[in-house]
Amino acid sequence: MTQPKENQVELANMAGIIERLAGELALGEEPARFIAALEGLPEDEGGDEVEAPRDE
Amino acid sequence: MSEESLAGLAESIRARRISPVEAVERCLARIRKWDGRLHAFIRLDEEGALEAARALEADAAAGRWRGPFHGVPLGFKDLCHLHGLPTSCGTRMPEYFVSAQECSAARRLLDAGAISLGKLNMTELAMGAYGDNAHHGDVDNPWLAGHAAGGSSSGSAAGVAAGFFAGAIGSDTGGSIRLPAGCCGVVGIKPTYGRVSRAGAMVLSWSMDHLGPLAWTARDAALMLKVMAGSDPADATASRRAVPDYAAGLEGGVAGVRIGLPENYFFEGVDEEIGAGVRQAGRQLEGLGARVSEIRVPDPRAMTDVAMLITRAEASTIHARVFRERPQDLQPVVRARLQVGFGISAYDYLQALRLRAKLTRAFVREVFAEVDVLLTPVIPESPPALAALKTATVDEFNTRAGRFSRLTRPFNGLGLPAISVPCGFTAAGLPLGFQAVGRPFDESLLLRLGHTYQEAAGWHHRRPLVD
Repeated sequence: MTQPKENQVELANMAGIIERLAGELALGEEPARFIAALEGLPEDEGGDEVEAPRDE
Repeated sequence: MSEESLAGLAESIRARRISPVEAVERCLARIRKWDGRLHAFIRLDEEGALEAARALEADAAAGRWRGPFHGVPLGFKDLCHLHGLPTSCGTRMPEYFVSAQECSAARRLLDAGAISLGKLNMTELAMGAYGDNAHHGDVDNPWLAGHAAGGSSSGSAAGVAAGFFAGAIGSDTGGSIRLPAGCCGVVGIKPTYGRVSRAGAMVLSWSMDHLGPLAWTARDAALMLKVMAGSDPADATASRRAVPDYAAGLEGGVAGVRIGLPENYFFEGVDEEIGAGVRQAGRQLEGLGARVSEIRVPDPRAMTDVAMLITRAEASTIHARVFRERPQDLQPVVRARLQVGFGISAYDYLQALRLRAKLTRAFVREVFAEVDVLLTPVIPESPPALAALKTATVDEFNTRAGRFSRLTRPFNGLGLPAISVPCGFTAAGLPLGFQAVGRPFDESLLLRLGHTYQEAAGWHHRRPLVD
């Protein structure tokens, strides 16, 4: 779907925010860990290992 | 206990001081008198309500009590599917929103003896913070005519405030229970993600949607939540945790409860009257024994952005058919928001979901190591005049709506329970409110805090639209 110019700006802004924040994600991070955080499940897997930059 | 509260009305019906038919007729009288202005209903089911009331009256006479809400009139946001009534989701295309699955949360209340008065007004597709609706009428604020009631559960909040029903179901994807509760001076609680089944309710964003009660008091909300919450085979995301008896713990007070007033984000750019009202509520809670301190919280902007992106992508996916087949029948502001969602890449959406997990873990760990509850404003500005909203362009409107929900949306992303409680009035006579946020599944503490505050402050003794 072709997006109007103002939407293209908004989409680019959103993509920029995600790109900046995602640089700090651990390799083991996955969406299901959201539920684990709420349910108080142990935080063992995933660790704090940070992903390598995508272009390496 | 006053019959104006759900708890008091239920008690009076049980004591046979008032019959279910009388309770419904009282509500209908107020609806006839005031709903021409408020537009709280999309579909008032007068006949259905009276028929149910007569059956419940016969049951009561025979000593058959269906449950704690026997004969209590309630309203349901018009995204809750109920057999026998169409569901518009705030659009003028109910034919697009047909479901064999009834809303589990609503069904549980009806099975507990409640009476449905009908389906309540809302912003179109639950996408909007103000309660305006070009198809079904803008919901007016019961406290000050011509002002927004808040959205998207606008009819739910305005109807509770106006005494049209004793409680209502709302849904909350970015603040849609708490914003109208704050605007209309009623209690609204968005429970923890998964605490209440969403089965049988329109999906806006399956990752962010929550159902919850709106009521006049925290006690009433506690009674409703107890019945609405719990596991449900029809909703895989509904938690299997046991549901506490929320009302049983209400009298425990707040002595020793650690309350944090955020130093960053939540008071920035907020109307002076609103910020002062919340801080005053904090001082009152301190006077009741709570330990109040300032706290710096992980920057909620990241979660706000992440939650917004996820919501837009999911909303466009869910409502693609109506967008493509009937775009001309959607309001321009809704159409514009849906269109953006189609442009979000799978990469950004999936990264946002991964970020949500990380940000939630960090927020829960850091904040709740220091405090038990966060206390913030619900809305950053007083409910605006409806006329002023009408003059805005689509972009201006959506930008302003985004700002209006910036204090509530982070907690949809975080999935944390959050309650909106009235705490006074502006000089213009519009309600002030605070938002209290707790640990996952700690709705009990939020309801206890709300109840303790209401009993001490007494704001709930003032009502709008007094006959």
